[in-house]
Amino acid sequence: MADFSWNTQSPLQQALVPGRHGGAGTHMGVTLEEVRGVSLVQVMARRGRTAETIKAAKKLFNVEPPDTPRAVSGRNATLIWSGPDQFIVLSARQTDDQFARLTEAFAGVASLSDQSDGRCLIRIAGSGARQALAKFSSLDLHDSVFPAGAAATTAVDHSAVNFWREPGSVDENAVFNMLVFTSFADSLWHTILDSCLEYGVQASVAHAA
Amino acid sequence: MSGYSQSEPLARTAPMEASVRKGATPVSQSHRLPGDGIIDRRSPLQFSFDGKTMTGFAGDTLASALVANGVKLVGRSFKYHRPRGIVTAGSEEPSALVEMRTGARREPNTRATTQELYDGLIANSQNRWPSLRRDLMSINQLFAPIFVAGFYYKTFMWPAKFWEAIYEPMIRRAAGLGKSAELPDPDHYDKAWAHCDVLVVGAGPAGLSAALAAGRAGSRVILVEEDTLIGGRLLSDGGEIDGLDAREWLRGAARELVSLPNVRIMTRTALFGVYDGGTYAALERVSDNVAMPDRHQVRQRIWRIIAKRSVVTAGAIERPIVFSGNDRPGVMMASAVRTYVNRFAALPGKRVALFTNNDDGWRTVETIERAGAHVVAVIDPRHEVPAQYQRLVDTYDLRVLAGVVSDVKGGVDGVRSIVVTNDRNGLTQRIDTDCLAVSGGWNPNVGLSCFHRGKPTWREDIAAFVPGNAPKGMATAGAANGELSLGACLREGHGAGARAAAECGAAGKPGEASKADEEVYAIAPLWHVKGKGKAFVDFQHDVTASDVTLAQREGFESVEHLKRYTTLGMATDQGKTSNINGLAIMAEATGRTIPETGTTIYRPPYAPVAIGAFAGHHRDENFHATRLTPSHHWAAKQGAVFVDTGLWKRAQWYPRAGEKDWLESVTREVLAVRNGVGFCDVSTLGKVDVRGADAGVFLDRVYINAFSSLAVGKARYGLMLREDGIVMDDGTTSRLAEDHYFLTTTTAKAGPVMQHLEFCRQVLFPELDVQLTSATDQWAQFSIAGPNTRKLLQALADPSEDLTNEGFPFMGAREVKLRGGVTARLFRISFSGEMAFEISVPARYGAAMAENLMIAGRPYGVTPYGTEALGVMRIEKGHVAGPELNGTTTVDDLGLGKMMSKKKDFIGRVMAGREALTAPNRQVVVGIKPVDRTRRLRSGAHVIPKRAVPGPQTDQGYVTSVCFSPMLDQWIGLGLVERGRERIGEIVRITDPLRTEDYEAEICSPVFYDPEGVRQRG
Repeated sequence: MADFSWNTQSPLQQALVPGRHGGAGTHMGVTLEEVRGVSLVQVMARRGRTAETIKAAKKLFNVEPPDTPRAVSGRNATLIWSGPDQFIVLSARQTDDQFARLTEAFAGVASLSDQSDGRCLIRIAGSGARQALAKFSSLDLHDSVFPAGAAATTAVDHSAVNFWREPGSVDENAVFNMLVFTSFADSLWHTILDSCLEYGVQASVAHAA
Repeated sequence: MSGYSQSEPLARTAPMEASVRKGATPVSQSHRLPGDGIIDRRSPLQFSFDGKTMTGFAGDTLASALVANGVKLVGRSFKYHRPRGIVTAGSEEPSALVEMRTGARREPNTRATTQELYDGLIANSQNRWPSLRRDLMSINQLFAPIFVAGFYYKTFMWPAKFWEAIYEPMIRRAAGLGKSAELPDPDHYDKAWAHCDVLVVGAGPAGLSAALAAGRAGSRVILVEEDTLIGGRLLSDGGEIDGLDAREWLRGAARELVSLPNVRIMTRTALFGVYDGGTYAALERVSDNVAMPDRHQVRQRIWRIIAKRSVVTAGAIERPIVFSGNDRPGVMMASAVRTYVNRFAALPGKRVALFTNNDDGWRTVETIERAGAHVVAVIDPRHEVPAQYQRLVDTYDLRVLAGVVSDVKGGVDGVRSIVVTNDRNGLTQRIDTDCLAVSGGWNPNVGLSCFHRGKPTWREDIAAFVPGNAPKGMATAGAANGELSLGACLREGHGAGARAAAECGAAGKPGEASKADEEVYAIAPLWHVKGKGKAFVDFQHDVTASDVTLAQREGFESVEHLKRYTTLGMATDQGKTSNINGLAIMAEATGRTIPETGTTIYRPPYAPVAIGAFAGHHRDENFHATRLTPSHHWAAKQGAVFVDTGLWKRAQWYPRAGEKDWLESVTREVLAVRNGVGFCDVSTLGKVDVRGADAGVFLDRVYINAFSSLAVGKARYGLMLREDGIVMDDGTTSRLAEDHYFLTTTTAKAGPVMQHLEFCRQVLFPELDVQLTSATDQWAQFSIAGPNTRKLLQALADPSEDLTNEGFPFMGAREVKLRGGVTARLFRISFSGEMAFEISVPARYGAAMAENLMIAGRPYGVTPYGTEALGVMRIEKGHVAGPELNGTTTVDDLGLGKMMSKKKDFIGRVMAGREALTAPNRQVVVGIKPVDRTRRLRSGAHVIPKRAVPGPQTDQGYVTSVCFSPMLDQWIGLGLVERGRERIGEIVRITDPLRTEDYEAEICSPVFYDPEGVRQRG
């Protein structure tokens, strides 16, 4: 019988070329990375079960899920608001079936949908990040409007994106996260990279820890 | 998506561009002054105009460099090919329009007055042939009496077909406004967003005051300025502010603004649009000041600025006076003369005459005299020297003439003399001059404040329109608001900035307004000096005063009619220097006042914007975002040809060496599936996770057939209707658990169906416990079809999985374990009519799945197939798809009427029962095959009765989908035909007027292949 190997492939397998791109000198104004190996679970409270959903989340992650557009860090996971009575659980992919484990924890109070392969996580930071972001995101990323932990469901190139600023990332070290649809990732990567080139970009692959 | 990005130059790089001939002795700057203009004399720049090499300095515009080189003639006019020069020194320029650059970067109608000079700049005059000085088309001037308003419409009427074929091309060649590049633009453009509390438009004294006040108060401020420098008229007219020389004050203001972290200054950025909700659009000319943009840099960028408040301090534009010969090269706005002398140290003339009807024009005297040139006469129709300028008359022994300039003599070399007429006694005199400075007063820039249909109001004391009802959140201040003195600009700007900041919640102190004199500004309106020669209102479109009065005589009295009949104000300058004069002349001709005559509607853009800037990054490969399937790169490696399906790239077929065309490849793929096994990536189908206690009830309401009764582990084909009873979409939906359905849609309707479902969930049925998530991108899904499908799957699946007909019957759906430790979802559904399964795995395994299907199927000759083969098989099987689900068909039209449940209500049920939707003569889906088996059937062809004459009365439907069927060895198709199901076996006529084809075909069952469905259940 033939052997079957199940190598995984990122949607940016081809588009992401690690290393330096653009810029004129040695200064790299933007760091751009794809975070691989993430588990993403969409949690939606069942009708009338919001309170129980929050309770179950608190028990699991030691933090209440956000009820406004924010991202909060919890035990081994980041919870990102994605709409009324719903949030995304982002964590590093484990060897066991996290989705099954969460499904059990939220049984009867929330509907879960595994989106680990439905989205690609792209992270952008650096002194030129906000300028580059201004070319493809309509969000106002000023500290007074979009502080650390702020989140938004928005669009890039007319494609839906979950966007948040890493909790605790301040000033010049602000880190912005984007969850983009897998099928759009290759195309959006090019748009994002093109927008960053004038500042100099360091592109890399990171693995969720 | 290819690897195209800005890091790699586009394939269409510009061919060799012409360059300035270095080494040629440049013309000396004959009209450059020794004074201290704002130019960098240590940075000389070489440029070429009409092939002649000249020099200028950093800080020059092309116009100021031409002035410094004594160039007066810069172009020929649009209609009459009259010689033209430089009229203004700003973005309102109606005359000095040149072709910039060469080759792919050639750009016509560039205003020389805003084009920054750079080393190696190449510009050419336009609208002339063969040369600027000797323009053969200027013969048009001899026929000038007939080239009046409406001339083209009146003359070239008959015969009508001559218009497009002969007249229009001829007129366009003779007129035209320069030539655009004929090659793709090699430069990049992009768009960006900016956000602020207070947007200040224009960085003159009022704008600087506003930005300082708002910035000090703590607001987030954006100050946009179209010029390369901030300062506005301070750069040209100077003055004294807070006891300091204006330039020194300006340096201080700039230092303070730069020191404020909450203030952003954007120069070279022209605000051109005001939109809803505090959205503004501006064009930044990022690289127009260099020959070629830096690598990774754009040429221009459009900014969408979101501001809570705006303060428009866009200044005012000096108004020409309409008189005979007012377009001669060397007739220049008085303020422009001062700009060229004071800012650029370039002298437009050595013997200057000044024609002004207002006090401000008199400033020009001192500028000229101090520059070492001479004012030969001041002509003021007011018959009185303004008190504050009497000292000039004494100091410079000025010749002041009461009256008007009634004619200008001169030619390609510019003004030689003017004729002055005393309007009281009619006496005339001729005065020799090489430059006539004109001031007819100032028009506040009301455009931006009127973009939301605001009507400007007339202010008698300054004889000009001022902003009326500005859009919400916008204030106007300074000259833009009709306050023309420096002191008032500083005061009003500060107030407006402070108020805007306070309204945005800024708590800080705005500080004190700077102070300057509030000079008197008196004016006696003068619009038009009547005379014999051509007196121009609109320089760019060659509209004269007599064109305006002709329009009036012919009944085009409304300003909107005047504009369209004469083309007044319709050129690229949008009538910035001409509209008010035009409507004033119309007012006089109709005996109305100017405010009664009114203005035309103001619309964006305020300044010309290149289409390339609007497109930004979205061109060529980046025209829209692209979606790739999980097996895309694998398919590309197999040599697949891709087709755009909405945003998706899908493998269309996989050509093999030796195959002569697509048909051969597709036919091979179909036969491989029908006789063995093949697979196709169907990940593009929309997928929706439907969960919750009421998921089944929810689906019962959106589908025409029942889903709450579907057993767990089963799939069912479903159809959903729009509210109006027309079919919306179809697809299979499986029940994976009691409270979990997995719904699929067509590729095209994935987005609209998801929207529809969310609408149903949130708005129509909020009482149901149901949650929806798009799972389209989560899963890599493949259709595996053909008689050997089961064998292939058995090789791939864990041996514990029972895939026999009993263990996995037709329409079964469940999870299966695959060898190697991956779990997949398996659905036994068929689109091809063959024994088939669809298998899905998380998208990250998509490429591995394609490879593993190849390995598992190798013993059975497994063949990847594309969307063409998929289409052939669905047509052979009579399955409907997009061409039949076309937004006009009912369930019954598709032959699926029996699916419609009578036991429950569902969306579209009531409306589907309307008379017209159930009429017996509706066009329904049938099969169609040409009688002549060698004939190619084409979709779109019409179906008419056999011996009927083609026409709307005999039309009975059309062919929707066609393919060459390898199984029937002929072209077949599906069509929508009137009463089609009652006419099986009838021979009809297929007529295709578009492709001039006409032949007979037989109406047949749409199921051409395996009508009993034995194969898919096998």
